[in-house]
Amino acid sequence: MNLLLEGFALFLLLNLGAGMIRVWRGPSPADRMSAALLFGSTTVAMLLVLAEATGQPALADVALLFVMLAAILSVAFVGLARTLGAPPPTPTPGKSSGKPG
Amino acid sequence: MSLALDGLLAIALVVLALQVVTGASLFRSIVMFVVFGLVMALAWARLRAPNLALAEAAIGAGISGALLMLGYRRLRAAGPEATRPGPRSSRLAAPLSLLVAGLVASLGWTALGLPEALGAAGAAVVAAMPSQAVANPVTAVLLVFRGYDTLLELAVLLVALAGARAVEGPAGPADLAIPTMTGLPIVGALLAALVPLSVLVAGYLLHAGGNAPGGAFQGGAVLAAAGVLLVLTGRLVPHPVPGPVERWGAVLGLLVFSALGLVMLARGQGMLSMPGAWSIYLVESAMLVSIATTLVLLLGAAPGLRRGPLP
Amino acid sequence: MNFIQVAATILLVLGGFFYFAGTVGLLRFPDVHSRLHALTKADNLGLGLVCLAMALLGGSWRGAAMLLVIWLLGLLAASVSCHLVAQAALEPAAEPPTPRGDP
Repeated sequence: MNLLLEGFALFLLLNLGAGMIRVWRGPSPADRMSAALLFGSTTVAMLLVLAEATGQPALADVALLFVMLAAILSVAFVGLARTLGAPPPTPTPGKSSGKPG
Repeated sequence: MSLALDGLLAIALVVLALQVVTGASLFRSIVMFVVFGLVMALAWARLRAPNLALAEAAIGAGISGALLMLGYRRLRAAGPEATRPGPRSSRLAAPLSLLVAGLVASLGWTALGLPEALGAAGAAVVAAMPSQAVANPVTAVLLVFRGYDTLLELAVLLVALAGARAVEGPAGPADLAIPTMTGLPIVGALLAALVPLSVLVAGYLLHAGGNAPGGAFQGGAVLAAAGVLLVLTGRLVPHPVPGPVERWGAVLGLLVFSALGLVMLARGQGMLSMPGAWSIYLVESAMLVSIATTLVLLLGAAPGLRRGPLP
Repeated sequence: MNFIQVAATILLVLGGFFYFAGTVGLLRFPDVHSRLHALTKADNLGLGLVCLAMALLGGSWRGAAMLLVIWLLGLLAASVSCHLVAQAALEPAAEPPTPRGDP
């Protein structure tokens, strides 16, 4: 059974490698982001399989962390399109950064 | 089979690292870097280091990606030329890289020749474990055997926060340009599910850190990720004046650890000795708050944070 | 191999098929939106099947509950991410498309 599980993990890793082609090619940033989504989901599955194969239940906790944080990158990415056309922020001269003693 | 798996992981790491450094577009390098963090966590899992895999998942997969994206956003606001990647090549590049490659190769060669046994320190830790209040050797090393290092690491975090405050310009809420997309109901649903769950998971990791992989750093990173999510979606906005939560939160870990250490010294039991599991959990809780506060403040790039306007 | 292991193997093979389908969709579909759609749907189902297989192999209720939570969170994260990325892809390009095979 362990052999099968590790083989499955290997198969998922090959999927990851194929997904890298999409990151490399693009052409648009959204394409690269969708490859990042693939990586997130595949890594979670790999961790769950490895948790069973190597007898480390803590890896399921790592998988939990991955899914919880998977959305952060997308939310951070979403702001990119909006900065086109936005004027660069003008620095305010001589403003103290307001950290009282 | 495991050799094939590990070999493929190693190759993937090298290829990803190359892609990060030599990418034609900065954005592609950022995505490759996040993926590198993911595969690194897998590598830690294969090396039977779940504590490190947890930390890599929290920091590499979540916070670092958000940090790089935010930096990229600010660079783009400065104009399209700012995001052109790549340093100028120099004639020192080839000899330096050969030198470094030689160094790495000799280190690897030496490491391969060493006997596969625990180092003396590791053996001493394993031998002393049964008498400790906690069963997780990593936690024991962090707080019991090498507590002074952890104390100074907390001080380093505080210094980093102060340094970031010193070098950043007068940032205001307009600098971050929260996109209107994050007012969508679906984002609200995501936050409603994730933020309370993050608090729960952070507490779980803190509690589990005593006897299983986990600990203050991993829990703090999860909490920080929830805070980062709130900042990114405009629920927390930067504010030039830090409030009591930010101030106390940033110093709490250092304060509690030092206070406990001094109390122990005054009672004649030695500085930073941990009289029981309760002291370990107390210090770890304070550390968790500090780590989370510091990370969120560093990412928000402002001295303080306030609740933002409801979308 | 007893019954549980056979069932888990079948579920794993199915899950692997869906993951493969998602990757093929990511690589071969003509447009960013169709790629996102194929990827999210197939990967979510693949993850669910893998979680089910692991729950069978793990044999404890606590582990199965954790796996269920992981799958549900994965659904949430994937749905929100897909929606946001798809919306962002509708905006004018944030940067000019990079031709493939750049040095």
